[in-house]
Amino acid sequence: MFNRRKFGFTAALAAAGLFAAATVTPAMAEYPERPITLIVPWGAGGGTDATGRMIASLLEGELGKPVNVVNRTGGSGVVGHSAIANAKPDGYTIGVATVEIGMMHWAGLTRLTGEDYTPIALYNFDPAGLIVRADSEWESAGDVIAAVKANPGKHKASGTGQGGIWHLALAGMLDDAGVAPDAAPWVPSKGAAPALQELAAGGVDIVTPSVVEGAALIEAGKAKALAVMAGDRLGAFDDVPTLKEATGSDWTMAAWRGIAGPKGMPDEAVEKLTEAMETVWNSDDFQDFMKGRGFGLVWKPGDEFATWMKDSDASLGTVMKAVGLAK
Amino acid sequence: MRLNDAVFGVILILFAIAEIAWTTTFPSLYGQEYGPNLFPIIIGAGLALCGVILLVRGLAQRGTVPMVEWGDWAGDKATVLNVVLLIGSMIFYILVSEWLGFIITAFAILTLLLVRLGTGLLTSVVIAIIVTLLIHTLFARVLLVPLPWGILQPVAW
Amino acid sequence: MDTILKALALVTEPYTLGVMLLAAMFGLFVGSMPGLTATMATALLIPFTFFMDPVPAIAVIVTAVATAIFAGDIPGALLRIPGTPASAAYCDESYAMTQKGLAERALGIGLVTSVIGGLTGAVVLSLSAPALAEFAIQFSSFEYFWLACLGLSCAVIISTGSTLKGFVSLLIGLFIATIGIDGTAGHPRFTFGSIELMGGVSFIPAMIGMFAISEVLRYVASTRKALPVPQQPVGSVFSGLGPILRKYKMNIVQGSGLGAIIGILPGAGADIAAWISYALAKKRSKEPEKFGTGHPEGLVAAGAANNASVAGAWVPAIVFGIPGDSITAIVIGVLYMKGMNPGPMVFVQSPELIYAVFIAFFIANLALLPLGFAAIKMSRQILKVPQRILMPIILMFCMVGAFAINNTVFGITVMLVLGIMAYVMEENGFPVAPAILGIVLGAMIEDNFMNSMIKADGSLSGFFSRPIAATLGVLTILLWTMPLFLTLRRWMRPGTE
Repeated sequence: MFNRRKFGFTAALAAAGLFAAATVTPAMAEYPERPITLIVPWGAGGGTDATGRMIASLLEGELGKPVNVVNRTGGSGVVGHSAIANAKPDGYTIGVATVEIGMMHWAGLTRLTGEDYTPIALYNFDPAGLIVRADSEWESAGDVIAAVKANPGKHKASGTGQGGIWHLALAGMLDDAGVAPDAAPWVPSKGAAPALQELAAGGVDIVTPSVVEGAALIEAGKAKALAVMAGDRLGAFDDVPTLKEATGSDWTMAAWRGIAGPKGMPDEAVEKLTEAMETVWNSDDFQDFMKGRGFGLVWKPGDEFATWMKDSDASLGTVMKAVGLAK
Repeated sequence: MRLNDAVFGVILILFAIAEIAWTTTFPSLYGQEYGPNLFPIIIGAGLALCGVILLVRGLAQRGTVPMVEWGDWAGDKATVLNVVLLIGSMIFYILVSEWLGFIITAFAILTLLLVRLGTGLLTSVVIAIIVTLLIHTLFARVLLVPLPWGILQPVAW
Repeated sequence: MDTILKALALVTEPYTLGVMLLAAMFGLFVGSMPGLTATMATALLIPFTFFMDPVPAIAVIVTAVATAIFAGDIPGALLRIPGTPASAAYCDESYAMTQKGLAERALGIGLVTSVIGGLTGAVVLSLSAPALAEFAIQFSSFEYFWLACLGLSCAVIISTGSTLKGFVSLLIGLFIATIGIDGTAGHPRFTFGSIELMGGVSFIPAMIGMFAISEVLRYVASTRKALPVPQQPVGSVFSGLGPILRKYKMNIVQGSGLGAIIGILPGAGADIAAWISYALAKKRSKEPEKFGTGHPEGLVAAGAANNASVAGAWVPAIVFGIPGDSITAIVIGVLYMKGMNPGPMVFVQSPELIYAVFIAFFIANLALLPLGFAAIKMSRQILKVPQRILMPIILMFCMVGAFAINNTVFGITVMLVLGIMAYVMEENGFPVAPAILGIVLGAMIEDNFMNSMIKADGSLSGFFSRPIAATLGVLTILLWTMPLFLTLRRWMRPGTE
């Protein structure tokens, strides 16, 4: 049944094809000469995915080559961020780096830090909010902190996974107010949407995602935002006070997103991508999209982005150690 | 390949012990009695219990059911080779597709398996070419799945 | 009434109907490809919806999703590769029908029940969207924990052969679900230091491996080459369906209703709806022993359930901006981009949009009938290809499908390992369906249990202190203790045997 000669012939044929292909020398042409892959470390449907896909489709118009979005999810972002850092640094694989890059190594999940990437541009920044049920008796951020202080362990909070960015926002806020960071026990969730569902269902009392993530629920009269953990009020929610206005605390916390590639990318590719990103960021399409969904806009290219990552990393480390989330 | 229930019982018990041992390295959740080790321990305990029952049941029918029954394929060299080639092609794809590229890897695997399962060489090559290009067009072009080009990158279309 | 007519006019514009037709064909195609789910179909459509008005944009997504869920049945029945996770529950049943030569019958049942289920879902949605959304939003981790437990009970019902071996299979599935970073403490479990494993075992490659790869292995490892099963010509796909559907009309009602309700709950979707209604059909059946041997009863119920659930997920998404699955998460993004922020205000500001969604579901499901018929006619030709040629091609599709879910060869590794495991299990009388159910429900059970314990400060009373949770809890416990109780009663009364 098995024909040895046939098999040998097939093998020879395959080898010949292989050889022919390998000897074709790549033609030197201007970057980019083929499609680019954009890795998104979070699932389809989330905010990172939405902004990533928008940028990909606009970049495609700028660069004239397809930019394909690839979701590499799981492991609290470790899987996708590792995939970006470990990709071949030829400019054909880039990704969306998120605030978690400055948190995962403190939590002992990976050795990767912002240093392992070629920063291209920071494009988004969303501060944490303080959201409670609409029928809650709390009317201000001060009420929440006082209630948590008075009854440690009674009021539960949620917003994302254990040790995630919104968990830090809450823990840091309590720490800054002189309350034990775990006085409001954290109920882990798979992102902001399930946490908001828990809030509405009465499962938890406090959630701390970005205000925009709770916008629909607030509009529906199921929840209210008491504060935003940022230096200034948000344009889209200018009736929500900053934490500083509400309690005098200087505590701020925000999630951010930027485009980055693996370390050691060719200068030509970095220049071209930065230039294209700047055009994309300034385009009406992008500005309308981001404002329409309530995403915060910020622009920091190259080295400024690198400095931003470094600062973010250091301040996250301080908080994580203070609240006992660092390993 | 059929194994006596007792063999599965022993495997399950050993697996459960190893699994539960591993859970002891998990941290406990701050301020909670239960942590990430709770469910693995329940699962491990369940597996161990089932393992014990299987072991007892298997030993009871030791006389009628042999410990290991390789099945008709193990005695037939051609069939063993089939299984080895099938699993081997998947491992081959996992190891080299990134470097060789999808088109060459898929063509090689398809041709090999088609010939091996009794299709003529020429027919096999033609089918392999058509299927490879079809899958590539459907997944890479239409559905934007980034199948690797590998060494064919310079001639990518 | 005015709004409904306005919405009808919007949806029946030639342009909208045209793009819906294209979307239906696209949905059928993506759904029938292993590894590519309805979510993937939606994500791929997003760039096109950028340039559309809101109603056609939403109609396109609705259509693609509705057709993709049915299309998942096609490779499941013909080749034992479920095209989408929603078809996994009854994949073995329909494949068994194909092996009896009844492929067209199996697919015909799938098609007609899908259409009925889909239409039911759309009606339920349009009649009671706001009220249902209020109900769905009452679900917290306590309720979801009990729901997942009910789902787990299905494992015992659906497993064929030895109960003990079915239980082992379920535990293996639950163990596989614990691999990766755990949802509560964020600690990596059983990863052997692998970054890929930190993300856990993806369900799609696992499913492809356990169904399709084990089947290919069985083919090459068998020395007696089975001839392709001659397919009985049933004339048309639809002939002979009438008596079956009449006989099992209660199963259709049960499946559609259950699917619609489960679909509304954020966090439980088409796949869970199919498992639960399949198990319920078997539980209530007069001939449960026929399940798994190519018996239409369970197929009827589950085929209706998964399509009925699709529309439901849109309710909490539109009313509260809480997405029930990743498809509606994408839809929310599209709504925002079109300047229509989800929330109850949508009913006031642009009610025609809501009705347009319902009408789009209606039209999509009606269009599924002729399009699905054509798809069945075309795809059944696959069975004429000799198996020696078909098997290598199936292998190739499986590998690409397992790769596509995360675009990494790690998916193929998962597929290979679980495929070999499933082959050994099936050879030794361990059913694989409970393991697959374990993988689906493992994280849901554990995360919701742990979260509930945190919320209730470690007290179990929380699981019964809320009305819906208490009802579901009592139901679950009754279901688990009933067989025990009945057995005890039999023992108490000797001599009645």
